[in-house]
Amino acid sequence: MSESDTSLGHIYISHHAIATIASQSALESYGVVGLATKNLVKGIERLLTGDPSSGVEVVYDGHSLQIDIYIIVEYGTRIKSVATSVSESIRYQLEKMLVIPVTAVNVHVRGLRISNPD
Amino acid sequence: MNLKDPTASSMDTVETPDIKHINGQDLKKLVDASISWLRSNQQLVNSLNVFPVPDGDTGTNMLLTMQSAWNEIAEMDDLKIGRMAHAVSQGALMGARGNSGVILSQLWRGFARVLDDLDYMDSKIFVAAINESRNTAYKGVVRPVEGTILTVAKDIAAAVEISSEKTDNLFAILKDLVKAADVSVQHTPELLPILKQAGVVDSGGKGLYFLFEGMLRFLEGQSLEASATAIQPLATMDLSHILTEIEPGQDYEVVIDFQPKKDFQLDTFYENLSKIGTSIQIGEGDDMYRMHIHVPTDKRYDPIDYTMTQGMVTKIAIENLIDQMQELGKSKNHKLEFAEVKPGQVAVVTISPGVGISRIFASLGVSAIVEGGQTMNPSTEEILKAVNDLPTDKVIILPNNKNIILAAQSAASMATKTVRVVASKSIPQGLSAILRLDPDGDIEDLTKKMEDSLGEVETGEITTATRSVEINGVNVKEGQVIVLHNGELIGSFANLKDAFFEFLSRAGVEERERITFFYGINIEKPAVDDLAKLVHERYPHHEIEIHEGGQPHYQFIISLE
Repeated sequence: MSESDTSLGHIYISHHAIATIASQSALESYGVVGLATKNLVKGIERLLTGDPSSGVEVVYDGHSLQIDIYIIVEYGTRIKSVATSVSESIRYQLEKMLVIPVTAVNVHVRGLRISNPD
Repeated sequence: MNLKDPTASSMDTVETPDIKHINGQDLKKLVDASISWLRSNQQLVNSLNVFPVPDGDTGTNMLLTMQSAWNEIAEMDDLKIGRMAHAVSQGALMGARGNSGVILSQLWRGFARVLDDLDYMDSKIFVAAINESRNTAYKGVVRPVEGTILTVAKDIAAAVEISSEKTDNLFAILKDLVKAADVSVQHTPELLPILKQAGVVDSGGKGLYFLFEGMLRFLEGQSLEASATAIQPLATMDLSHILTEIEPGQDYEVVIDFQPKKDFQLDTFYENLSKIGTSIQIGEGDDMYRMHIHVPTDKRYDPIDYTMTQGMVTKIAIENLIDQMQELGKSKNHKLEFAEVKPGQVAVVTISPGVGISRIFASLGVSAIVEGGQTMNPSTEEILKAVNDLPTDKVIILPNNKNIILAAQSAASMATKTVRVVASKSIPQGLSAILRLDPDGDIEDLTKKMEDSLGEVETGEITTATRSVEINGVNVKEGQVIVLHNGELIGSFANLKDAFFEFLSRAGVEERERITFFYGINIEKPAVDDLAKLVHERYPHHEIEIHEGGQPHYQFIISLE
């Protein structure tokens, strides 16, 4: 009923948790076939299967989030549309789950996977 | 008709189509037909969206994707189907918009790959091509979400495989394909809970269905113009507004839920209903239809008898409209009339806990109300929807509760419109703010004025404690009357009267001119009048206003100005 009893304590959400939400949204987005780490080892993109949060960088300034995500896209899709969808879906999921505003989602396409050469 | 020359068109002037081969020009006609039919149903597909994302208009996205494909083939007079399909695929790729557009272009890409540089396509190749389109589409995503256009593509592929074992007539196979697509689309809410919650089927899947249905309608010689029958998703079916006025011959309202039989024809259904009554609406939802009609007294059972011939009736509701209108006239529960807002003007969305308060807000120029308040906070989505539904792009939100401010701010940041939140923490603050509204004013200016106005009003809230607790040094026992002044607990009392006067003196009533009460649903009018009389005796120079607030939990919300 008053200010004091509504404060049950603090809620902390780790960057790792936020990154996991972002990477899951990206992987469910059509056209994304994997995430890549930011630093490329010998120029080879590594398709990640293990840690659900690598390939994502989270910056939180106390008010809002900025996300950088590094993706690998299926060859033969329209990359711009895929990237736009990824960005929208990440923003939507983060704001829905965390109720923290997202100022930017930067999508970096690190490579293309060719499963069907035309 | 089994044509000797397989490269020649086999589709012109066919009465009972028996199509064994399709060439490039045939494909072009089919693509044209599918685009026309999707265009006719574009709005319906758009209305199925559940994700509030800016480019979320699936129907428009798919149409633009196909339009780009058409631009690629419009001038082509190639007879080779392989070349035509590759051009379609290329055009779709270039114009792919949104998730569903990208998937659609992948479907075409797989389709074209199988046709390679063939001259024409028979049933075997068609099945292989549909199969490959499914495979290609699934390869483009790590975690395919089922209950989407992907699922429909998968179900279609399975259906043509079975169909092609029975016949090599492409027309018959397409017919089976469209049937399977329909079944698959209707099933999508079972696979994707968010669709079920929203009461819709998947929009991308439905778009794909229309593309194929357009081809089928073309071959059957049916119109590709929009059918006159508007069908809508159940979730968007608003039957309440129909009640506000009735005309002669609209004595009864009949609403029937039913599962249509297999050969159900929407057009015929609509036509026959219109012979019985008026105000017909037909909604489509989770594997069922809902029809709504107004009929004269003597025909009130006719819609039921007729609908029973069209499918399995699951639910029937009949209401006497004449009686309802009289009831409506008696009670004050008339549909709220909101201030109309024109594009470019500033609109206000507010959150209200009760009908009485909503009515007051509406009379002061609010354009939309989201229901909510203490213990029933509205979601960001609900607020965002109210903002998006307004025809203007400048919106101010008044949350009127400190627990709703965050949801309002998050709705503001998600909206593509210019949205400002004036952080009103109570109904009196909200009312004080709305008085500053000037729809033609500058939104930043108005926001500032409204924010300044929040401090000009003292808010009191009186409720009954639901548990024993000690807060701010105040000992509260369950069942006692407690008072909050601007959200702070100031005391706990044995009765309403003591609570009321304590608030007035604590809030500095001497320096104020006007006392406004909004009484809640948990207090009777005579008790309110008695209290008002006492207040008037104690403060004879104050102006006293009493309104039915209709809010739950709080006996009184009090505003001091």
